[in-house]
Amino acid sequence: MKPSFFLKSLAAVSIVAVGALASSAAWAVKVGPVEDPIRVVKIAKGAPIVIATYHVISGADTALGLDAQRGAVVAADDLGNKLVGHPIKFMHEDDGCNAEGGQTAATKIAANQQVVVAIGGACSSATRPAAPILWKAGIPDVATAASSPVLTAPDRGPSYDGLLRIVYNDLWAGREVANWAYKVRGYKRAATIHDGSPYAEKLVRVFQENFKKLGGEIVSDEAIAPNDTDMRPVLTKIATSKPDFIYAPTFVGATSYLIRQKKEIPGLEKVALIGSDASMGAQLMEAAGKDLLGFEISTTAMEPEAQGPGYTAMREKYKKMFGEYPIQGFHGNGYDAMMLAANAIKKVAITEKDGTTYIPIKALRDAMFATKNMQGVTGKITCDQYGDCGVYNFAIYQYTNPDPKTLEPGKNPKRIYPDKF
Amino acid sequence: MNLERLKQVTYVDVTLWLMRAAVILLVIAGTIGSVIKDRYTTEQWVSMVMFGLTIGGIYALIALGYTMVYGILRLINFAHGDIFMTGAFTAYFVAAPLAKSGFLDEYLIVGMVLISLVAMTVCSCIALIVERICYRPFRSVRSLAPLICAIGASFFLQHAFRGMYGSSVRAYPDVRWFDVVVTILGFNFPRIQFVVVIAALASMYALYLIVHKTKMGTAMRAVSEDRDAAALMGIDVNKVIIFTFVLGGSTAGIGGVLYAFVFKQVYFFMGFFPGIKAFSAAVLGGIGNVPGAMLGGFFLGVVESLGPALFLDGLGIVAPYQLRDLIAFTMLVMVLIFRPQGILGERLARQRA
Repeated sequence: MKPSFFLKSLAAVSIVAVGALASSAAWAVKVGPVEDPIRVVKIAKGAPIVIATYHVISGADTALGLDAQRGAVVAADDLGNKLVGHPIKFMHEDDGCNAEGGQTAATKIAANQQVVVAIGGACSSATRPAAPILWKAGIPDVATAASSPVLTAPDRGPSYDGLLRIVYNDLWAGREVANWAYKVRGYKRAATIHDGSPYAEKLVRVFQENFKKLGGEIVSDEAIAPNDTDMRPVLTKIATSKPDFIYAPTFVGATSYLIRQKKEIPGLEKVALIGSDASMGAQLMEAAGKDLLGFEISTTAMEPEAQGPGYTAMREKYKKMFGEYPIQGFHGNGYDAMMLAANAIKKVAITEKDGTTYIPIKALRDAMFATKNMQGVTGKITCDQYGDCGVYNFAIYQYTNPDPKTLEPGKNPKRIYPDKF
Repeated sequence: MNLERLKQVTYVDVTLWLMRAAVILLVIAGTIGSVIKDRYTTEQWVSMVMFGLTIGGIYALIALGYTMVYGILRLINFAHGDIFMTGAFTAYFVAAPLAKSGFLDEYLIVGMVLISLVAMTVCSCIALIVERICYRPFRSVRSLAPLICAIGASFFLQHAFRGMYGSSVRAYPDVRWFDVVVTILGFNFPRIQFVVVIAALASMYALYLIVHKTKMGTAMRAVSEDRDAAALMGIDVNKVIIFTFVLGGSTAGIGGVLYAFVFKQVYFFMGFFPGIKAFSAAVLGGIGNVPGAMLGGFFLGVVESLGPALFLDGLGIVAPYQLRDLIAFTMLVMVLIFRPQGILGERLARQRA
């Protein structure tokens, strides 16, 4: 009798314990006076409010990430480096523009439970693994230049519930490039090159789909490895299909090799090579040398007149703070990402009389997604239910001088399409 | 008798034979497919072979450093790819002002000799420092320590250059003479491709002469055969090892300059992939064997360049150039399975037993 009674009691206790554990998952977290289903960040009086950023800030694509990171820093400066009564403290991480880097950066950020929100990344390859890690740790994330459609696709899954982005979606970019190439330039035969990254591959696929719909033909669909240096064999293959132009939205390294080696391939000397904003900046100019002259890129318009009203002031402040004009096209996105997060924090933060601030994360995430008609420096920002908040003014730019010192978006590279906004 | 031999055949043997047959069949099917497709003109095929020989020559020059050090110390010098980078990077600071002032276009040979000398000196010095700090203390230790140290040295060199010169890419100058297209047997090539192949072959020949016709070369071969016996015969082993690192560094320096003039870019991480490829080339040719390293380098370069067009395109694989590294490393795996000593490698263990 005794062992049986003992076993029964043990079973009963176990069931109760398991039940309690299971139901605790659905329990809200209560910190101080604030309750939230995910977590609550408590910031003591005078303690800083921690904002994390992760971007590519080393290697060939540094300009892409650093520009967005600087945008966020300028925004903080515009906020007086204070938010809900606490000084803003940044935690800048490097994601290397690759999946491993994104994972490492996100894991590092997630380990710090004082982080309220993350800004970044600039590369889809890094953002894709990073966003779920951050959201698992209860950190919402605003991407600044990660434009791959998968990040905000309706089937992106609950692990991406915390991700928004202040950048256009490549579904728009691919469509616009196809329209421009077919209708404005009159190209009928396109060759494409991607490097296997989620960004480039998806953008190329969207472009191909739209170009074919318009009546164009994809005569060569090629891929390279991101670290390839010898592009001549793949360019030779492309030459056999006699394209009107080559669309290669690759990053700085691969793009510069393509630019330099294209002229060596018989049959491609006069074929246009068109890249994307992933490779824009002084580093491409440095790497491609004088062969850069005439190279075209598709991007969202960068001149002040194509941006929101506060853009010019922000650009000047950027110059003052970092000693140079913006080095890439995503500083405005970094700025707006920070402002979007700051506005939402202001809405949901609760500060007690003793100066302690509580930020409920689920409420913060919802407030960020509910952003409507926010006047940002990139334009009017409205987020949809999947986190797409970007503004997109399609434009094509052409390099007029290979000297990196002459970089000034609008003048070099110069906008060649559209004429006006 | 035959039946007895058949009985000894294991499943492993059968699987390996099937693998060989499958690979050969795939290559043949792909080649036939490509020939039937008739996508490329003869000139394009010849161009692709030339691209392969150009990059192959550079792989071969780097591979020589791996193979010589392995021959003498039985050590894989994983920092060698980065030593190659240091040469190319430092030479940039000589090449850029020389090109800007017009000196390089005016006195090309003097300029190139100067640039190569700088690269060779820097590479040799760094190779020596790496040897002194990272390898010599472990020379008599039988463990993985030297290998780990080599990997550490590789990271150190990369990040030291990143720290000193930044992470951006620098463009090597254009030299007018190199870019001129010449016609040979009706085919057009930029001069730089010939320059690379000829310079690589010449350096290798010089190296061959040094190893086989000089006193120091004889000493190198003796140390490679048996270090202790060589020491007992009065050979200064340290001197031989230093000489080997200088030779390896010099060939890497030449390789670095040629690479930079072909691909026109240098940056701190540029040595990693060519280093890995050159290591594969050394293994492919038979590590420890100088002509093997040359053959392995050229072979790897040509297969990388031709492979996607010749085998994969014919098999109907879309975007075959993405799989270029796959071809190179599959070949390496196949060589390791079927001929572990490499194409020209000796059966060291058996000979020395």
